[in-house]
Amino acid sequence: MSERVSWVPEGVDTGKPSAARLYDYLLGGGHNFAADRALAEKFLQAQPNARTIARLNRAFLRRAVLFMMESGIRQFLDLGSGIPTVGNVHEIAQKADPDAHVVYVDFEEVAVAHSQLILENDPHATIIQEDLTKPAAVLKAAGESGLIDFTRPVGVLTVGVFHFVPPEADPAAIVAAYRDAVPQGSYLAFSQFTQDLQPEEMAGVVEVMKKSQNPMFPRTKTEIEGLLAGFDVVEPGIVPLPLWRPEGTNTDDPDKAGIYAVVGRKG
Amino acid sequence: MELPELAARWMHALTSTAYIPLSHAEIEQALLDSLVELPESPESVADRLVSLHATGPDSLRATIEVLSSTFELPLLARLSSAYAQAMRMDAFDQQEQIKVAIVRAKQRVERTLKVSQARFQEVFASSALGIAITGFDGKCVEANDTLAEIVGLESGTELVERELIDFFHPEDAAALAASYRQVREGRLDRFRDQRKLIRADGEPVWVHLAVSLLRDADGEPTHHVTMVEDISELHLLQRSLDHQLLHDSLTGLSNRGHFVAQVERRVTSDPVTLYHLGLDAFSVVNNGIGHESGDKLLKIVASRLGKLAAEKKAVLARIGGDEFAMMTIDDNVTTTVEEIQDALAEPTFVDDHGIALSASIGVVDRPPAFATANELMRCANAALRQAKARGKRQWALHDPHDDARRRGRYALAASMPGAWEHGEIEVVYAPVHDLDTREVLGAVARLHWDDLSHNDTMALADSTGLSLPIGRWLLREACAQAARWVEEFGDRAPTLHIALGALQSRDEDLVADVKRALDETGLPAERLRIALDISSVLAGDDNAVVLHDSGIVTALDGFHGGYDELTVLTEVPVRAVITRAEAPRPDSPLRQAMRDLIATVHSFGVRFGVDEVHTLEDAEHWRAVGADAVIGLLPALSAADVTELLATAASPPPAAS
Repeated sequence: MSERVSWVPEGVDTGKPSAARLYDYLLGGGHNFAADRALAEKFLQAQPNARTIARLNRAFLRRAVLFMMESGIRQFLDLGSGIPTVGNVHEIAQKADPDAHVVYVDFEEVAVAHSQLILENDPHATIIQEDLTKPAAVLKAAGESGLIDFTRPVGVLTVGVFHFVPPEADPAAIVAAYRDAVPQGSYLAFSQFTQDLQPEEMAGVVEVMKKSQNPMFPRTKTEIEGLLAGFDVVEPGIVPLPLWRPEGTNTDDPDKAGIYAVVGRKG
Repeated sequence: MELPELAARWMHALTSTAYIPLSHAEIEQALLDSLVELPESPESVADRLVSLHATGPDSLRATIEVLSSTFELPLLARLSSAYAQAMRMDAFDQQEQIKVAIVRAKQRVERTLKVSQARFQEVFASSALGIAITGFDGKCVEANDTLAEIVGLESGTELVERELIDFFHPEDAAALAASYRQVREGRLDRFRDQRKLIRADGEPVWVHLAVSLLRDADGEPTHHVTMVEDISELHLLQRSLDHQLLHDSLTGLSNRGHFVAQVERRVTSDPVTLYHLGLDAFSVVNNGIGHESGDKLLKIVASRLGKLAAEKKAVLARIGGDEFAMMTIDDNVTTTVEEIQDALAEPTFVDDHGIALSASIGVVDRPPAFATANELMRCANAALRQAKARGKRQWALHDPHDDARRRGRYALAASMPGAWEHGEIEVVYAPVHDLDTREVLGAVARLHWDDLSHNDTMALADSTGLSLPIGRWLLREACAQAARWVEEFGDRAPTLHIALGALQSRDEDLVADVKRALDETGLPAERLRIALDISSVLAGDDNAVVLHDSGIVTALDGFHGGYDELTVLTEVPVRAVITRAEAPRPDSPLRQAMRDLIATVHSFGVRFGVDEVHTLEDAEHWRAVGADAVIGLLPALSAADVTELLATAASPPPAAS
């Protein structure tokens, strides 16, 4: 079992590392446990650039949300939102327009409880506890939340999360289900690990995560293109994280970014 | 360096060390404000850096590197320690936050668990289905009261630690264990079955089962859950609909109703033959080896007859306790009767008892087409009675004339209770004569109905189950009459003799009945003689002894002179025996034997009486060999006639002349 941290209430198993808390740790957050940090250390051995990748992925999320806001999107569905850490979608969106609506979706108990704490006083944002690989249930709950009007364009966000969806879960069908649920003019922001960049390090990461609760499945550019069927990919297409519409001049090495980023528009 | 330029450099250095969720311009502005503030308050700059989330592992180093060219070391030292403190507080805040999140998550899980546990408990407790959760060792971990009720226990807790499979019929155990194993090994998701449970009291219960697997949080199988639905009532209903209505539950053969319906269908169009079989001496078997064995025997008979019926394309039914009926078409009666007897004659062993079987058979062959099925059944039954009367293993063809006669007798028996109730049955008194003195010793009380004799009336009473109540009535009625005679005529009143039937002789209430009759009528005990049927004494009944001990003189009726009977005379204190036999004429080869027998009886101190002696000549023959008394020399008289006789006649009464 796990080592017990004194301040953790009895009955909560902190012995199993979670991808959400690992991400939080890589971003410099404190919402994590020894098991998460131990896994993160292994992750860092396989991919020394992991902290940067986490930062770049978070920055992509911010730029994608702002891009969608500029395109007129005022309601967001953030799939696999995880631990609310720094620069959450509702903070970014509501800074630009306080009336922007955000529905977070996650399955993990602690992530959900944490999100509820953060969102307690925000009538325009909520979290629903559902499995993003079950689109019907997610869409039903999102509709019932009253925060998303599916007759108006929606910004769907799956940022740094699809590498946890195994091939047997049929990721193409999952993306298609969300695509079919939103009207024309909606957007999809998508980022996930790829073996196209630093294949050796990627293989190491896959190995590290294999036995965790969240094994990883990197995808090639071609595979990601397939997942975005039915979307018009906006400029600059499927690119390493720092190259997607950077703010000013990019100074990060795209070859060490680990993750492809892309935004598509439903035409 | 100008402050804006420094702020730009600082921004570039910081953003590669941490994710700051702001635009570059916004970050730059925040840092420029910080630079202005720094000399006055490095602590608030540290706070701002942490709140901006410039908290990467290299963020402080990058900051010092950029600022060291412009600011003094002591200021930077203050900034560094304030930054460390802010980081510390930030970490505490975050950990506090996630702690609250965890507590909430835990509470929610617990609440959900509690609700689902409560729901489960409610379902478990109130379900109309029996539910058991068993470990892989087969023992119940938990069971609800419904299941306990189904298996005949008080509460579900009684099932805990007991093996569920023990409640199933032993024949089903192996198959069930295999099914449970398949579910456990994941080769089956669940199985459903229909099986027999054995209740605590041994009664079988039909149940539907559904068995599936319980898993723990990691998906590992831990228990079986078994749902049990009691369908025995359904079964009974089903059976009473299609089986019990048409079939006999013991043998599975058609029942009477079903048989009659089939006879009805065939009789108008086909040359049918009906066989009505009664197993010989089946009641002896049933009483001798027990009803359970009797039932087994009936099943064996049913299966043998069933085989024969199948060969002959005959219809077979069980139409009574030990009675079967068969209908054949275009049949040879003698051949079939032989085949039936052959089928039954095969040695039969039931619970180690070897039993020889035979049947009496009544046959109705090719009746006229207009006969109704119920008439035919009655005719076959009449023929069976006739066959039975001839002994074992006999058969009889239905004879319409004989039937009419018997019907008369049955009709009489059927009317007997009504006749008794209406006072049509009366008590008459036959005198007992002393052969030596020719005096009347007493009067024998007898039943009289229509033109039927006492014995015929008693036989009818036996066949209608009236013999006991009528016997008691006779006892009381006669005692009352005798008491009136004693009151009126004193010593001249006749001593009352009552001969009891076999049933009443061994009735356990007899002694009490007799005493009550004496008490209620006031007849002195010495004025009563009770003759018991000798078979009851031979069977070991002690009524004779108890009556004797109560001061009542007894006799044994139905004496034949057998060895057993003589032995009884040495053991049981009786005053007399009564026999019915042909008179020992001088030319009879048995005359000497009878004389010797009577001498033997006398040697035990027992008197010898003879019933049904109707002539003075016969009476003389009996006197000659030593008999003491006879009954039947004069016809029996009504109580009123006897009273009149006693009143008018001087002693001795006419019979003595």
